[in-house]
Order: sequence, then C-alpha cells, then structure tokens
Amino acid sequence: MISPQFLPLVFKYIVRRRVRSLLTVGGVATAMFLFYSVQAMHQGVREATRETSQETRLVVYRQDRFCPFSSALPEDYGPRIGRIPGVKAVVPIKVVVNNCRTGLDVVTFRGVPEKAFEQGFFGQVRFSDGSLENWKSRNDSAIIGERLAKKRGVKIGDRLDIGGIVISVAGILSSEEPQDQNVAYTHLDFVQRASDNKVGVVTQFNVAIEDPTQLERVAKAIDAEFRTAAEPTSTWSEKAFVARAVTDIIEIVNFARWLGWGCMAGVFALVFNAIVLSVRDRIRDHAVMQTLGYSQGLIAQLIIIESVLLSVSGGILGVVAGVILTTWGTFSLSVEGLSIHVHASGTSILLGLALSALTGVIAGLVPAWQASRREVAACFRAV
Amino acid sequence: MALIECRKITRIYQRGAATITPLDGLDIDIEEGTFIALMGPSGIGKTTLLNLIAGIDTPTSGSLVIGGVDLAKIPTSKLAHWRAENIGYIFQLYNLIPVLTAYENVELPLLLHKLTAKDRHNKVAAALELVGIADRHDHFPNQLSGGQEQRVAIARAIVTDPKIIVADEPTGDLDRAAAVEILSLLRQINRDLGRTLIMVTHDPKTTNYAQKTLHLDKGKLLELESRPDHTAATHG
Repeated sequence: MISPQFLPLVFKYIVRRRVRSLLTVGGVATAMFLFYSVQAMHQGVREATRETSQETRLVVYRQDRFCPFSSALPEDYGPRIGRIPGVKAVVPIKVVVNNCRTGLDVVTFRGVPEKAFEQGFFGQVRFSDGSLENWKSRNDSAIIGERLAKKRGVKIGDRLDIGGIVISVAGILSSEEPQDQNVAYTHLDFVQRASDNKVGVVTQFNVAIEDPTQLERVAKAIDAEFRTAAEPTSTWSEKAFVARAVTDIIEIVNFARWLGWGCMAGVFALVFNAIVLSVRDRIRDHAVMQTLGYSQGLIAQLIIIESVLLSVSGGILGVVAGVILTTWGTFSLSVEGLSIHVHASGTSILLGLALSALTGVIAGLVPAWQASRREVAACFRAV
Repeated sequence: MALIECRKITRIYQRGAATITPLDGLDIDIEEGTFIALMGPSGIGKTTLLNLIAGIDTPTSGSLVIGGVDLAKIPTSKLAHWRAENIGYIFQLYNLIPVLTAYENVELPLLLHKLTAKDRHNKVAAALELVGIADRHDHFPNQLSGGQEQRVAIARAIVTDPKIIVADEPTGDLDRAAAVEILSLLRQINRDLGRTLIMVTHDPKTTNYAQKTLHLDKGKLLELESRPDHTAATHG
C-alpha cells in the first residue's frame, strides 16, 4: 500500500493539469448522472411492482380493459364483493387522470367514499398538513399526495385546477406508498360528476383481505361471482396489477438499463483515455522519477491512484447531481393512473460510487503496467 | 579500493537491424571524492557509461562494482532503492517535473526516505540555499531561466546526500555565463561536500573544472588526464 506522503504528488498532477482533469471529471460526472438516473427509474419500478408474501390488497378491474377510461364497473358490485369469505373491506374507486398518455406530470384522481379512510382501508393515514375532517367538510375537497403538493406549490385551503377539475386542498398525505405521491383523493360522487358525469359507475374496487395466504382464493372467488355478469371482472394483487399496467414502462426502463451500462462503458473509455494520454505525456517525468529511485511498482500505483481519484470525483459529482434532481425534481412516471416514483436510494448511490471507483482502477491498470515496464534509459532516448 | 570499479564493461544495443556497441571492454577506476570529466565526441558511449554507473542501465557483460557492491547482483526490484540511496543525477535538459515548484522538485527524492516533513523541509531549504535559488522556491520550471532550472536540478541531485553525483552535459543547454556558474557550483559541491562527481561533456573548456578527464574512444578508455592543481582551473 502506498505511503500517504506520495498522495500530494498525485493531487498536484490532477489539480495543476486543470483543463484535462476538469474535462475528464466532467465527462465522468455526466455519464454517472445518467447511470444513476436510470438506476433511480429502475428502483422505482422495482418498488412499485415488488410482490411480497404479506400482500393483503386486491384490485378488481373490468375484464379485458386496461385503462381507467375504459374500465367501468357498477358501484353496486361493492356489497357483493364484501360478502365473499375472506374479504375484510371493499372500497369503490373512480380513477380519473389528467393525461391519458404516459408522462412525468400525471395526476391521478381517486374518488372514494368517506368511510374508506375511516375504515383504515388506506392504512394509518398520516397527514403532514390538514385533516380528514377538513376533507369531509366540502364536497370538492381533496387530500393530495406530498409530492403533488410540493410540485404545484400548494397549501391547505388553496384551490387547484388539474385538467379542468377544480379541487380545494383539505389535506396533504404523508405516505411511503409510490401510488400515494401524485394522487388527489376526492369524494366519489364529486369526481364521478366532474369527469364523465356517470354516477354509480366506478373504475375499480380495492379489496382488503384478512389473510394474505388467501389472496389467490379470494381473487378467484370475486371473478367467479361476476363471470356471467354484464361487466365481468379481473382481479389481481395490487402489485401484480401495477406490474401489468406499467408493462410498457418496465420494458422501457429495462432497455434504459442497458443505456446505463453503456454510460459506465463511456466512463471507462473516458478515464482510460485520459490516463493513457497523461502517461504518454509523462514518459520523461516517470523516467526521471525512476532515476531518482522511484520503483516501477510505485509509479504504477501513483498512476492507478490518479485514475481512481479522477473517476471517483466524477462519480461523486454525477451521483450528487442525480440525487438532487430526483429528490427535488419529484419525478414520477405515470401510466394509466399508476405512478412509478423516480427517486434516490442508498443502494443506487453506493452502487454508483463503487462502480466509478472500480472503473478507475481498471482504467488505470493497463497504462500503469505499460509505464512501469519502460526501461529508463530507453525513455530518455525516446523523448 | 576505488569507489567505482569497471572491469571489461561492454554494452550492446539493438536498433532495428543495427547492432550498436558504445562500450567495448572498458576498464575504469574512480576514486571517492574525485571530480571526473568524461570526454569524447557524440555517440562514443559517455552517457551510456554514466547510465550504467547510475544504475539505470545494465551492462551486457563485465562487472561494475560501486562501494563494494556488484550492481549485477542487485535484483531489479531493489535497484531503484539503491539509486535513491547512492546516486544524484543531473540531466542536460534539467528534466524538472513541470507541475511541481522548485521546492517540490527538490523534495521529490526525499519522499522515498523515512524522514519527517520537518526534516524534509530543512534539507530542501539547505539545498536550495547552497545552489543560490532559495528565493525562487515557489516558482514553476517554466518561470525559471535555464541556469536557474539547472540549479534546481543540482539541488535535487544533492539533497539526499548521495555518494555519487552524475551529470550528463550539465552546461550543454546554457550560455557561457550560466555555464560558468554551474561548473563553479559543481566544483564547490565536490570540494566542500566531498562528493564524487562524474560529468559527461564534449566541451574541452569545461574539463578545466574537473580533477581528471577520461577520454573515451570506440568504447574504450583512450587517455586519462590529471590536474593536480585543481584550484587553478578556469573557464575560457
């Protein structure tokens, strides 16, 4: 391991060759920013679609329909679903989106009956501001997700026009669930009238069951109940439902992952090129250092450390930029009313930094080996 | 016993299809504390001999013993350490590291030695003072004249107190006035510090500063001149 007294020498080479170092670090930062952003998207997809054995939520949708505008179920299916053994609670939901295409700024309205929150259907509801009582006091009031509130810069009491539907902000929901971030929970009848004016029709039913091991049985039982009805159903676990709905996004994000790895290849090429050029410029310097008594191994280590420092510096900048963007930018990919939150995670940050360090080591190896193999006298003859 | 003993030293290079033999069975003894000038026309093997003595090249055959140590018996992995302990090298073109200041260039070889930062600082300051360049310690090489750069290079060569200082045409790139200053400095280092100094030169006038001049021709020692009254040496 190299002695610390040699580290200032490496820093001086980096800092005093400012232009080259800045260009290299800047290029690495750009590539790592892209890599991290892709990882953040992938993280969002993973979280939104990860099924667990403790799932207790089902989504009942119109069979053979795949978007909120086309799924229409009678509201009176609710009580029939509630009577199926194993079902703990049923909530009819009218889903309206302000943009039927996939996008980064899609708001989902979910019209729900008042009792949905009181029944604890959405778990322990935490409000960062406002209250349930506020929401109950007006028909046009809405409880909105934190991210939506932040993005639109609204507070309690503000009126918000989203896609022609005007709501009054009564509460801001604090939730870990990706689907609660870009959402506005309104009264069911309000959104039924404000959207297509079809009272008595909902998009889906969200069903809470008592026993997670009974998830599949209850799903089959619900579909069996309505198999011969005018509007037959298709019932899924909540995560599977999201996965099915966002298939296109998943494919795009999976493809983007390859772009992310392409960025890593770009980082390698950039750092490798910078170090090769740098070593080539320093043939004489290295020959002088060997004459002074610097061993071939020591010179190789100095080159590798320089490579790692350049790569990690760029990696830190790129990852930090990615974290800032995904944290403050509050991006989420939305499709068919479902959201995938693009956000930072500790794993993605560590992965980005580790990969940039590893890339620095690998990129420095060959130039370091070449520099250490040169004969001193031959170097002086050559330059 | 001489400090440096060369016996039948031969060095052969391959340059493409050509075989070059700059040294062919050379025998030389160099006593400790002497100032030797190596003379001869270009390509005669002066620098090759210097590089062999400095341990940055190895003879094709023959034996080279320095301070009782046969260089051929030192493993390659340890040769760098031997150089750090025993050799100070002064190049014709100074070869200062461009991104380092004068101070940092002189400090560079000291990083290899187990010294505290304070000890390193004291040695560097003393070396810069000796060569008369202390006031430029924070200048980069491109901010120094040729003579000033060579002074820094000399400081770098002496800062580790090496047994042997080798100088490859140290005044080759300097004007006459600067060359005189550098040669005087080298003579002072030889006299006051007692260092063995071997200087390659093709300029006969510069040999007046040395105690002995070795003339090389066709890879062998042709002639040895001694200058008993070294104090009388002048340039011009």
